[in-house]
Amino acid sequence: MLTRYKFLLTVTRNNYFLRQLSLESPNVFAKPESRCRTVEDNPLNHNLEHEGRFYVVPPAVCNQLFRFGGIPKGYEVQAKTFDETCLMIRKPALEVINMMKVADYSRPIVKYVLFGERGAGKSLTLAHILHYALNSGHLIIHVPWVPDWMKKCKDHTRSETREGFRDTPLDSAAWLAHFKTQNQHLLSQTDLTVTSNYTWSKREETRSGSPLVELVDLGINRIKYASNIIVALASEVKALSSSGRCKTLVAIDGFNCFYNKRTMIKDENWKIVPPFQLTVTEAFINLVNYNWTNGSVVLTADRLVWSGNERGESDLPLYQLGKEAFELLDPFIPVHVPCYSEKEFHSCMDYYMERSWIQNENGNTEEGRSELMYLSTMNPYQLMKICGPL
Amino acid sequence: MTSVYSQIARSEKQTEEFRVLELVKKSAQRSARRKAKKIELLPPRTNVMPVDQDWSSVWPGPRSFHPASVPLPLRQGYNKKGVSPGKFANAELMKIPNFLHLTPPAIKKHCEALKKFCTPWPEELNDENCEKHFPVEVITSDYCFSSPDIREPMARIVILKVKLSALTLDKHAKDKLLRLVGERYDPSTDILTLTTDRCPLKKQNYEYALYLLTALYHESQKTEPWESEKTVADMEYYDWEQNVSYKNVLGTLNWPQSVKDTENFKLTPEMEEYKKAISDLMNKGEDLYTISKYKEATKKLLNLPEFLPLEYTTA
Repeated sequence: MLTRYKFLLTVTRNNYFLRQLSLESPNVFAKPESRCRTVEDNPLNHNLEHEGRFYVVPPAVCNQLFRFGGIPKGYEVQAKTFDETCLMIRKPALEVINMMKVADYSRPIVKYVLFGERGAGKSLTLAHILHYALNSGHLIIHVPWVPDWMKKCKDHTRSETREGFRDTPLDSAAWLAHFKTQNQHLLSQTDLTVTSNYTWSKREETRSGSPLVELVDLGINRIKYASNIIVALASEVKALSSSGRCKTLVAIDGFNCFYNKRTMIKDENWKIVPPFQLTVTEAFINLVNYNWTNGSVVLTADRLVWSGNERGESDLPLYQLGKEAFELLDPFIPVHVPCYSEKEFHSCMDYYMERSWIQNENGNTEEGRSELMYLSTMNPYQLMKICGPL
Repeated sequence: MTSVYSQIARSEKQTEEFRVLELVKKSAQRSARRKAKKIELLPPRTNVMPVDQDWSSVWPGPRSFHPASVPLPLRQGYNKKGVSPGKFANAELMKIPNFLHLTPPAIKKHCEALKKFCTPWPEELNDENCEKHFPVEVITSDYCFSSPDIREPMARIVILKVKLSALTLDKHAKDKLLRLVGERYDPSTDILTLTTDRCPLKKQNYEYALYLLTALYHESQKTEPWESEKTVADMEYYDWEQNVSYKNVLGTLNWPQSVKDTENFKLTPEMEEYKKAISDLMNKGEDLYTISKYKEATKKLLNLPEFLPLEYTTA
C-alpha cells in the first residue's frame, strides 16, 4: 500500500498552488463538468455529448464488477494512484451500448467483436459495456482474460465425465466466484432457477427448480465439479434468457485464444493440450452460438493472446480470429477501437494535468503536447507509459 | 693563405703516415655512390582532357584498362586496412574486361553507320498489335566466353512469356491451368513465364518450352472424373452459398426453425448486400474498408440502426 504522503507541487506558467491528497480521503476535488470530465456516471445516459470525457466508476460498482479482473493491470495501478477508477467515454463503447439498447431481443443474439491495435482500449471499452450491463439489469457472464486460463493455469486434472478432456478446478471455481460477485443482485432473486436435473455424484445433485445460486455455490465449494458446473451454467443461462426471465451479456476478452492450437497445459504424458480439450472451452463456445435469444455477446479479438510474434501482422478480426472462429461467429458486428482522436488525446492530457501527474513544466505547452502526440502515436497505452516518468 | 697551407699539410701528413682504418664510413664518402637516374614521367593525359571530348576517339576499340587515359576516379579491390586501391598500378582493373569502347555515344555511332542497311519498323506494328499477332515472347541470352571451352552453360536457358488473355480458356480451364502452373503466373500482369534449362542446348530447351505450353493448354481443357471431388476448402475463391456462413445467416434469420433445405431460399436485398460484403472480405482481402462494409451489411441484415448521434436513447 502506498504510505507516502502526497504533496504535489504543480507549476504552471501563470500560477503556483499547493495540493494535498491523502490516500484514504474520498475524492474531495471531485470536479464538476469540465473539458475532460463528466458527472454523469450512469452509462445508461451516456451519449455523444459526453464523448471524450472521463467519468468516475463508483467504487462499489468497481468492486463488484472488477474484483477478479476486467481492468488491465497497468490501468489498475494508475487508478489506485489517482484514487479513482475513471473510464473515458469513447465512440466504440457508445456504439455497442446504443445497438444493445435498440436490438430486437426476440431474435437470436447479436455478436459484437471489438478489435484494434495493442493498447487502443478494447478491454476498457468492454469494462464500460459491463458497467452499462450492470446498471441495466443484465445477467453478466464475463471472462476477464482467456489466456490467463490457457497460459497460467493454476491446476488441471483429468476430467472424470468426459473422455480425453481436462478440467481446470481452481480456475473454474475462481471464475464462479467472479460470476457470483458480479451478479449478486440478480442471483438473490429466486426466479432464476435451474431447468434440468444434474447429478454430480451419488450424494450430490442439483434438482430442477432449485435456485441458480445453489449451482454456483456448489461449484465454489466443490471445485472438483467446478468445470462441469460452468458447462451446465452456460446451458442454464441460455435457457433462462430464451424463456425471458433474464437478459444476458456475455463478455469475453481474448476470445481468439480458444482457437489457439495449443495451451501451456501439459497432460500426464507431457503432451500439449489444445484449448478444445478443456471442459470450460465448451461452455463458452456454446454461449456464442446463435441458438438463444434475449442476450448480447461482446468479444475481443486481441493480438496479445498469441505468444511472441505470432499473428502479429494485422489487428483485423478475420486474421486474428482465424477461419474456424469466424465461421462460428458469422454474422457478427466488428467494432473498431481506434487510437485516440485529437479531442480524446487533449481530454486525456487535461485529466493527467488535473491529477497533477505530469510534473514537467513543458507538459502543458502546445509544443509539449504535440511532442507527446507524436511519440505516443495517439495510442492510449503508449501515452500512459510515456507520461509515467514525466 | 693559412687554409691552403693546412690542406697541403694534411695531404702531406696522410702520405707520410700509415693509412687509418675507418670502420664507420664518414658521410663524405657515403655520398660518393652513383645516384639512380630518375625517369621524368609526363603527367597523365586525364589532366588535360576536356569534359566534352569525343570519348569514342579516345578509346576507339577494346583495350585493356589504361589508368592515365581514363578520367574516372576508380577504386577496385580489397585492402584489409584502409581504402580500396586506386586505379594506378591496379592489376585487377587491368585483368577484368571493360566496355569503355561501347559507351552509349559510341553505340549510337555504330547504329548510325548500320542504319543504311536497315528497313524502317512497320508503323502499324505498335505494342498492341505486337501482342495481338505475336503473343509469345521468347527470351534467350548469349554470352561472350573465353576459357578453354567456348560453351557457356548459361546460354541454354530459354524463357517463354505469354499473356493468358491471348489463350482461349473458360473458367474451369483457367482455374486448372493456374493450379498446374502455380508460381509461374503473375496475376498483376497476367503473364505466364516458363523457364526451361533442363536440356543442354538452347534449341532443345526452346522446343521443350513450346511443348510445355501446348501440353498445359490441352490438359486444362480436359476434365478428369476425380475433379468432381473438389471440396469447399479447395475453392480458389469464396462462394458464399457453398460456405458455412450461408447456413449461419439463414439459421439466424429463420430462428427458431432450423434450416435443412438451403437450396430454395430467395435472397432478400439485405442478404444480397451481405453476400457481396462477405465475398469481398474473403476474396479481396481484409482491411478496414472491407470490414466496415461487412459491418454495415450485417447491421442491415440484423435490423440494427446506424449509430444515432446526439440522441438520448433510454434503456
